[in-house]
Amino acid sequence: MNTPPPNSPAQMNAQMTITAQPLLSQNKKDAQPLFMVLVILAFLATLTLLAVASGYRAAAGWHDNLDGTVTVQIKPGENTKQAEQAKAILSELPSVATITILPSEHSKKLLQPWLGDTPLPDDLPLPILLDVKLKAKQELNIKHVTSLLSAAGIRADIDDHSQWDEEIKRTTGAARVLSLLALALITIASVAASIFATRAGLTRQRRLMDVLHQVGAPPRYTARLLSFRFAWSGFKAGAIGALAALLVSVLVGLLFSTSGGFSYFLPGLHLSLADIYLVIAVPIILALIIALTSWQTVVKTLFDEIYP
Amino acid sequence: MNHQNARPDINNSHHIRSGNATANIQFDRVGFRYDRDGEILSDVSFSLPQGSMTFVTGPSGAGKSTLLKLIYLHMRPSRGLITLFGQDTSQIERASIPALKRRMGIVLQDFRLIEHLNVFENVALPLRVAGQKRANYQDDVLGLLKWVGLGARAHALPPTLSGGEKQRAAIARAVIAKPEILIADEPTGNVDDDIGHRLIRLFAELNRLGTTTIIATHNIALIPDGANILSIKNGHISGHISGVEIS
Repeated sequence: MNTPPPNSPAQMNAQMTITAQPLLSQNKKDAQPLFMVLVILAFLATLTLLAVASGYRAAAGWHDNLDGTVTVQIKPGENTKQAEQAKAILSELPSVATITILPSEHSKKLLQPWLGDTPLPDDLPLPILLDVKLKAKQELNIKHVTSLLSAAGIRADIDDHSQWDEEIKRTTGAARVLSLLALALITIASVAASIFATRAGLTRQRRLMDVLHQVGAPPRYTARLLSFRFAWSGFKAGAIGALAALLVSVLVGLLFSTSGGFSYFLPGLHLSLADIYLVIAVPIILALIIALTSWQTVVKTLFDEIYP
Repeated sequence: MNHQNARPDINNSHHIRSGNATANIQFDRVGFRYDRDGEILSDVSFSLPQGSMTFVTGPSGAGKSTLLKLIYLHMRPSRGLITLFGQDTSQIERASIPALKRRMGIVLQDFRLIEHLNVFENVALPLRVAGQKRANYQDDVLGLLKWVGLGARAHALPPTLSGGEKQRAAIARAVIAKPEILIADEPTGNVDDDIGHRLIRLFAELNRLGTTTIIATHNIALIPDGANILSIKNGHISGHISGVEIS
């Protein structure tokens, strides 16, 4: 069939400019609930990711601080000469890297949590502490060192922090498992909610899907059209949620730092530059999940309900 | 050639007559039922030649819409054989359906216009979906809109159109891609008789240009004299009337 010729199409065309319209409605009001759900999901997922990453770093930091160090405590009543003597003995050992005799202020500071800011008398008997750092991957034979110091007439306790290190390993291990579990649950909830929200959004486009099918659009045409729109919306929502979570993390981190880093033994939210990759990854992953979900939903709907 | 002389070929003994090489729609003992309900259509057999214009009539619920849905591949029959463009539809793969759909224009009673797209975009939709460039079809769309009397309404959104304008926009969309078959389900259902007659004349003009046209309507007053009619009652073809004067 030939389309009936108009009187003067070229003339009409010259008189009439028709601006191209996008096939999908630009009505943001309809899509707002879905958008808000995605923003919240992205916010929670990013916050959890940042907390887990921060917790991992804190645990690693604690372990590193304790690993490779030994504290020698010269009993109170001994003079600083013995501390120098102990330092000389320890310096002879091949595994020792550096030895620092800590000033008495350091010992006093350690008592602060128990005694408060009350000025301590100068004649208070305090131990002298030696901070011994070992060479990489080296260990100190505590028994041997104790016998060396005893032989020199020095009364000292030696602590290689092994007891603390084990406890920290256990505690941080449990914290890691818990945070990974929380992350997995939030991820599953995010994926499920994204799928649900995407399907709910697609029902609003059902008329368009029907009409596109009626005029002979292949399923992949409709799926591409809707998937791209939903994925782009998901990316924007993900970016807003992730940036909001980053902002909250930075503020919480600042709050911890202004309170002297005291956070009731919990790792504070200490961000690193590497965390920016996590913040970037969240909207990308969210967009991919939504694209996949909407593609599958559109194709399944077309095949199950529209195609016989 | 007067395509209205190409009469539908039916056989109430449920056999398609042989030798109809130019038929582009054939039903052979077609039955359709939803789940365990009784058959909506039962033992329907007919053949529509290329370029024919046929009215499908019958009371509400007789099965007219179901018959059309089977033709435009919206549903598959429960039994029997449907041949479309020489192909057995039961053998058509899903991936091939969009291409077949593009050879058909469909007008439904509820218009199915996309409300956020203006009349021009609604009418141009089949060409856009087919991947044609806007510059290549803009003149055709504007020309067709003028031909159906919507030249001045190209920018209008569907909610601002009258029932008759919506129906003409839906018809324009159905024919813009020059389909070989035009299917209209109660195209005059939402308009008054005057507009209804004008729409039927529009279909007749399209048919004269070579399109096989099938129109389902319960309003026999709109069917022109001498038209080909397939009458359906209780899911069966109850008669074939041609050249009958209907007052």
